[in-house]
Amino acid sequence: MEKSIENIWKDGFLKSDKLIAPQIDNLYSQKSIHIIDKFTRMFRINLNAIVAFAFVFLVITYFVGIPITGAIFFIALMILFAFNKKLLKGLEKLDKGDSSYEYLKSFNLWIKKHKEINKKVYTLLYPIIFLALIVGFWFKDAKGLPLGERLVTKILIGFPDTYLVYGIPLIGIVIVLFIMGLLAFFGGRLFQWDLNVIYGRVFKKLELLMTDIENLND
Amino acid sequence: MSSDFYKSSILPFAGIIIKLCRAYTNSQEDFEDYYQEVCLQIWRSKDNFREESQWSTWVYRIALNVCLTLLKKKKNNVQHFVSDSVMDEETESNYAFSDESLNLLYAAIRRLSEIDRAVIMLYLEEKSYMEIADIIGTNQNNIGVRVNRIKERLKKILDGKIN
Repeated sequence: MEKSIENIWKDGFLKSDKLIAPQIDNLYSQKSIHIIDKFTRMFRINLNAIVAFAFVFLVITYFVGIPITGAIFFIALMILFAFNKKLLKGLEKLDKGDSSYEYLKSFNLWIKKHKEINKKVYTLLYPIIFLALIVGFWFKDAKGLPLGERLVTKILIGFPDTYLVYGIPLIGIVIVLFIMGLLAFFGGRLFQWDLNVIYGRVFKKLELLMTDIENLND
Repeated sequence: MSSDFYKSSILPFAGIIIKLCRAYTNSQEDFEDYYQEVCLQIWRSKDNFREESQWSTWVYRIALNVCLTLLKKKKNNVQHFVSDSVMDEETESNYAFSDESLNLLYAAIRRLSEIDRAVIMLYLEEKSYMEIADIIGTNQNNIGVRVNRIKERLKKILDGKIN
């Protein structure tokens, strides 16, 4: 006689040895590794994107006629890349064999170090990027004369009393320095904001996971 | 999650959680992930339990929601589709039950829609229509009709496979 599905179900589980609950001790191990792997992957992609952008921008600026901007940008971004490449090596050395909590804690320490170093780097990077743009356009060829010199000539025609320092209007220098100061002041914050936009979700997951493990340990 | 909480509040329902998780997974690895996630969610949600329903109903509801959410995530994840062929081989070996008829029934259940899987599993676990309706979030009459329709469908799928 054909067995009903109810009987197949009951008899099957009576005979079966597959109803053993899995261990939940390692509940967090995979999660920790997964989150950190995800971050590492994103970080590596980001670094490669910086290098690619530096090269592309260098070529573009050459054709646009502001190669100085491209060159300064390139050097600044390569320095940023070098710092972060070194940090990435440190991240890859974190021992996955540690307990989940220890692993997450060492990752958290790495993040703190990463933030501290990059805050300093970005404090210099943003003003340098701004200066690179100004210098690039200043020396851009404008019908045989650098654009900056042509601009100064026009200013002097309109305002003959303009005070010059090494051929550059003092007011212009003051404005550029002020903006650079602002960028240096907010550089760290801009970096933090940038970091949260890219990795915010990963950081939130990490925080939740650490709270869970701490509660579990309690 | 304390081991006391696990032993007193989750382990008594481990059987149905395991059965549910198995209905939504194809490999031992996925099954363990689903089971662990269900346990974790039960623990995380324990403070939200208002005793408006039974604890068991609450547990089944969370188990079902977690399974459906993870299944949806998996469907959206192309990487998992790539590795499905490997998992199919695994289904044949260490993931299978020792009882062949049960394996066939599970395979048939996996062919049902996500909600129908939950309905029939709860029915097979001898939950009342009222409790099934409560867990699924529908009315009792609907469940009766649905169970009969699912059983018919399962019989059709199993026809030719079981004598």
